[in-house]
Amino acid sequence: MALDEALTADQGDGRVRARRDAGRLQRLNILIGALSVPAFVLLWELVARSGIVNIVLFPPPSVVAVAIFEWMRSGQFFLDLTASLYRVTTGFTVGAALGIFLGIMTGQFPVVSSLLSPLFHILRPIPPIAFVPIVILWFGLSETGKLFLVVWGVFFTVWLSTHIGVQKVDRGLIRAALMLGTPRRQMLQEIIMLGALPYIVVGLRTAVSISFYTLVAAELAGTFAGIVYRIEIAQQNLQTGQVMGGLAALGLISFAADRMFAAFAERTVWWR
Amino acid sequence: MQPGHRSNAKLSLAIPQTATATERCQPAIQVSNLSIVFDTHHGQLIAVDRVSFDVPHGEFVCIVGPSGCGKSTVLNTIAGLEEPFEGEILVEGLPVHRPRPDVGMVFQQPHLFPWKSVRRNIAHGPRMLGKSAQQANAIADDLIAIVGLKRFADAFPNTLSGGMQQRVAIARALANQPRVLLMDEPFGALDAQTRAVMQDNLLELRNRIKATIVFVTHDIDEAIVLADRVLIMSAGPGRILRQLNVELPRPRSNAILLEPAYLALKKDCLDVIRAEGLRAFRQSDEA
Ligand SMILES: Nc1ncnc2c1ncn2[C@@H]1O[C@H](COP(=O)(O)OP(=O)(O)OP(=O)(O)O)[C@@H](O)[C@H]1O
Ligand SMILES: [Mg+2]
Repeated sequence: MALDEALTADQGDGRVRARRDAGRLQRLNILIGALSVPAFVLLWELVARSGIVNIVLFPPPSVVAVAIFEWMRSGQFFLDLTASLYRVTTGFTVGAALGIFLGIMTGQFPVVSSLLSPLFHILRPIPPIAFVPIVILWFGLSETGKLFLVVWGVFFTVWLSTHIGVQKVDRGLIRAALMLGTPRRQMLQEIIMLGALPYIVVGLRTAVSISFYTLVAAELAGTFAGIVYRIEIAQQNLQTGQVMGGLAALGLISFAADRMFAAFAERTVWWR
Repeated sequence: MQPGHRSNAKLSLAIPQTATATERCQPAIQVSNLSIVFDTHHGQLIAVDRVSFDVPHGEFVCIVGPSGCGKSTVLNTIAGLEEPFEGEILVEGLPVHRPRPDVGMVFQQPHLFPWKSVRRNIAHGPRMLGKSAQQANAIADDLIAIVGLKRFADAFPNTLSGGMQQRVAIARALANQPRVLLMDEPFGALDAQTRAVMQDNLLELRNRIKATIVFVTHDIDEAIVLADRVLIMSAGPGRILRQLNVELPRPRSNAILLEPAYLALKKDCLDVIRAEGLRAFRQSDEA
């Protein structure tokens, strides 16, 4: 009896200790995580100022920070940001809408698929950047050309994932819906669309980063404002601080866009 | 399907119970000379070979047979999900070519719409048949009470156990008040205990609805507990080997599994199945 109690007490004790250890480990991990970026910045500052590297080509974070501050104060940053965001969002919206619409058409109707899928499969693997020269010939330096590139990049990814999603909708769900008297229209609007939604959302999320890749190509092709345009100009003037500031801004924006989209995706397909 | 004495006034009112003239002279389901052939990589596969049977109104028929013998194929054809290769199927005197709202189906997997709550899953059928959201929800709430899921009316399928999901699937199939209810191994994926409870629930539910039920299973015990009549199918190509009337008293429950009359029936079934198994084995040996 006494031994029994002692045993259970000991077991309980062990469990508490294990939990305490796990808690400590978790706190340690959070601490390390919080220090990761500051430690990296500090190391960068030290290396850049140590004289091992050319400080003009490899400016320390403090110089980059000043460049970013100047960029913002001049009001140029806001113009660049809106120009780039406008290209990404309109291109993404148009490309995604087209991709979802045609993906549902080719996924659902074999005739449409026979007509379009072979063409799309040939065009899809060509990297959107390869279209820059022809786009410049067709559209010059206009916004239409930029939009074209982003739409092109986004469209194929979204089309393919929607097409696959529609075809992978659980046959069981469709049969169940048929047995309940679901008419064709509702079948497409409700069961097929929502059944394919998890795939569509994955495609859209991939397309978010693709839209930023194509933005880079579009702005390097020549324009008058934009984050990447600013990077290119700064490079020509050997303003390396500004170049790195531009890179940091681009990284932050696409990171934020991806996070926002992930949160949105989680809310849209919450039943997953 | 709750073991209480809940009123089912609304539901039974909604399902016509008085026999019409046509009902008295024709069975609910007539399957005549049904053959189904699939095109496969190795040529044509005869899944179902000249199967004929009738099911009178209100009867509970179980089809048993080994895996792959074509039970699901027969059921899907009655449901209108599959086209007959040969032969004809009449439900309520009308040939079946596509799914019809007067034929309900419960599959082995619940196949609930994952983005809809329990109530909206059950209300889906009535909505599709043109009922208002309010009417459809009222029908759903009645059925939710009958299958004992009141607490889960607003829950989503992924939060329910397998047994509860299958109860929702049954309620959903009943929401359109089908005259014929087809069930394809609905309890096949459940553990033995849950399955026994579900069988008792179904027997009780069956007293409240007057639908004709065709229930597919490969569990002989399940077939005898539930059915008025058991059809035994042969291994593929599926044919009907034998029909057995189950003349056990109702109301029944899983408790009859130990009664002598039950055991005698089970012995009959097993004899038929064993003889067929031997025949199939010899045949495959010679081939
Ligand atoms: N769509 C199909 N295409 C080709 N062959 C099929 C198809 N559906 C079923 N079959 C074949 O028809 C036969 C009967 O299948 P069915 O699903 O009706 O069997 P079952 O009796 O329901 O088996 P189980 O008890 O395992 O569910 C099997 O040999 C199966 O391989
Ligand atoms: Mg089956």
